[in-house]
Amino acid sequence: MVWLTDKTSFAIAVLFYGISMVYSVFLWRKGFRQDNRVNYTLLLIAAIFHTTAMFKRGFSLERCPVNNLFEATMFVTWTMVAAYLVLGIWSRLRFLGAFASPILFAIGVFALMPRLDVRGPEPEFGGGLSSLHATLILLSYGAFGLSSIAGIMYVTQEHDLKFHKLRAVFSRLPPMERLEKVMNRLLLSGFILLTIGLAQSPFLLKQKYNVYFTNDPKLIWSVIVWAIYLALLLMHGRFAQSGRRFAWGAIGSFAFVLLTFWGVNLLSPAHN
Amino acid sequence: MPIVVIGLSHHSSPVTVRERFAFTETIIPEALQKIRALGIADEAVILSTCNRVEIYASTNLKERETSVALQNFLLNHHNFQDQLNGEIYSFGEPKSLEHLFKVACGLDSMVLGETEILGQLKKAYELALQHKHTGSRLNKAFQKAFNVAKHIRTETNIQRGSVSVGSVAVELAEKIFNKLSDRQVMVIGAGETSEKTARALLSRGAHSIIVSNRSHERAVALAAELDGRAVHFDEWANEFSKIDIVISSTAAPHYVLDRAKLEPMMKLRKNRSLLLIDIAVPRDIEPEVNFLENVYLYNIDDLQAIADDYLKQRTSEIVRCENIISEKVRGLFPISKSSEFAGDSDSIVAASL
Repeated sequence: MVWLTDKTSFAIAVLFYGISMVYSVFLWRKGFRQDNRVNYTLLLIAAIFHTTAMFKRGFSLERCPVNNLFEATMFVTWTMVAAYLVLGIWSRLRFLGAFASPILFAIGVFALMPRLDVRGPEPEFGGGLSSLHATLILLSYGAFGLSSIAGIMYVTQEHDLKFHKLRAVFSRLPPMERLEKVMNRLLLSGFILLTIGLAQSPFLLKQKYNVYFTNDPKLIWSVIVWAIYLALLLMHGRFAQSGRRFAWGAIGSFAFVLLTFWGVNLLSPAHN
Repeated sequence: MPIVVIGLSHHSSPVTVRERFAFTETIIPEALQKIRALGIADEAVILSTCNRVEIYASTNLKERETSVALQNFLLNHHNFQDQLNGEIYSFGEPKSLEHLFKVACGLDSMVLGETEILGQLKKAYELALQHKHTGSRLNKAFQKAFNVAKHIRTETNIQRGSVSVGSVAVELAEKIFNKLSDRQVMVIGAGETSEKTARALLSRGAHSIIVSNRSHERAVALAAELDGRAVHFDEWANEFSKIDIVISSTAAPHYVLDRAKLEPMMKLRKNRSLLLIDIAVPRDIEPEVNFLENVYLYNIDDLQAIADDYLKQRTSEIVRCENIISEKVRGLFPISKSSEFAGDSDSIVAASL
C-alpha cells in the first residue's frame, strides 16, 4: 500500500474523528442514552490509522516522531484517543467519545494545515534527553486535553442540572463530583509531566548553547502555561474554587494552549 | 344528587398558582361548613395536597351551577383576583367519579402510581366525615374509590418500579455527588413525603439524617425512625455547613430559606455542592437561591418533569387501570342525566368570570 503514507493515514484518522463528531451530535441530542458502541468503533478505526501514521513516521525517521508541529500535534491527539480507548473498555465511560471527538477532529485538522509538517535538517537537539523532554511535555498536553474534555462534561452536566433539563437525570454522564476529581487528577498529572519535561530544558540548553535560559518565545510561553496550570490547581486546592470555575479554567487553559501552541513554535528558533 | 369535583392540580397549574389556593388542615372544616351553609353542596370533601386542591361535592343543584358556585367560593375564600386561564377544572358525573378513582389510584398523581395520595385522600375524607360534612353519596363514592385503589394495586403493575418523589431526588443526588455514603441529609419539616424521600436516600447509602421540625417531638420521633438526629427548628441553620442534601416540606406560609440567608452559609461550606429539594406548597425555598454557585434547587414542579418520563413507560398500564375504573364507575351510580358539561372546564371558567 504505497499510497498509504503517514500523512494519508493520519488524514483518514482525522476523517473518522470528523464522522465520530457528527455522530456525537446525535448522541448529545439524545442525552447520551444510546449505546456508544458505534462511536467507540469509529474512534477505534481512527486510532488504528492514527497509530499507523505514527509508526510510519517514526520508522522513517528512526526516532520518536515529535520533531515538528505536525508530529507534535499528532502525538498529543494520539495520547488523547489512546486514553479514551482504554477508558471506553468500560461501557459506562464510552460516552466520553462524544466529547473527545470534536476536540480530536479540531486538533487533527490543525495538524494537517500546510507548513506544519516541515522536514528540515537534522534537529538541533538530539539524544534520549531531548526525546524524553518532548514526550513528557506532549503527554502533559494530552492530559490537559483530557481534563478539558472532563471540564466540558462538567459544565454540560452542571448546566443541565441547574436549568432542570431532563437529560441531566437520564444521561450517562458521571456525577459532577467525580468529573471534578477526574479533572483535578488529570491536571495534576499533566502539571507534573510538564514540570519534569520543562525541568530538562536548562540541561538541553546548556548542552547546545551553553546557557541555562534564553528568551526563546517557546520557553517563555511554556513557563506561562506552567504558571497558568499551577494557578488553576492552587485556586482549586487551596482556595476552594467552585467546580464550575475550575472546569472553565481547564477548558480555557487548554484552549489557550491550542490557540497559541503553533504560533509560538513557529516563532521559536530553539523549537522550530 | 350528582357528585361534582372542582379544583387545580399539577396538570393544570403551576405551583405559584396552586400555593395560593392551598387549604391548611385546620381551616378545612370551617371551609366545608361554609360551602354547605352557602347552599352550594349538601356533602363536601376538600383535598389539599402539594399537587392538588380539589373540592368534591354532592349537590341538588345542577352541576354547572354547582361548579360555578364552587369556583367562586374558591376564588373568594383565597381572595384570588388575578386572571385565570383554565387553571381550574371541573367535572360532573360520571367524570367526577372517574377522576376521584384515578386520584385514589395515583393515576392522576405527579409520580404515576404513587400511594401517598391514597393516604391523603383517606385523611381528607375522614376529616370531612368526622365533622359530618359527608353523606351517603360521598361516603359510597369514597369507600368505593379506596376499594378500587386496592384492587388496581394488586391486579396491575401500576406501582412497580421506582416512581416517587424520593426516587427522583435520589437520582438527582446521584448526578451531583460521587457517592451518597458520605453525604449528610437534612429534613426540614417532618412530613410524609420528606420522610419517604429521606428513606429513599438512606436506602441508597446516605450517611446520616438530621431532622428539624417546628414540633420538636415529631422531629425526635422521625429522627429515631431514621436513625438520625433531631435539632430544634430555630437551630437548623447552625448545622448547615455539614449538610449536602436538604429536603424541605414545612407548612410555613413564607420562605424558610432565602438567598440572603443561604449566601453566607455557602461560604462556610467551602463551595461544596448543595442539593435542595423543596416539596412544600407554598414553597419553602426562595427560587433565587438556584442562581448561587453549587446550589441545585428543585421544587415540586421540577420533579414532575422528571416523573413524566416514567409516565411514558407505563402507558399500557394506565389503559388497563382506566378500563377497570370505567367498569367500577358504571356499577356505582346510575349515570346522571344532568351531566351536560362533564369535563368541560373552560365553560365553567367563562361562566364565572
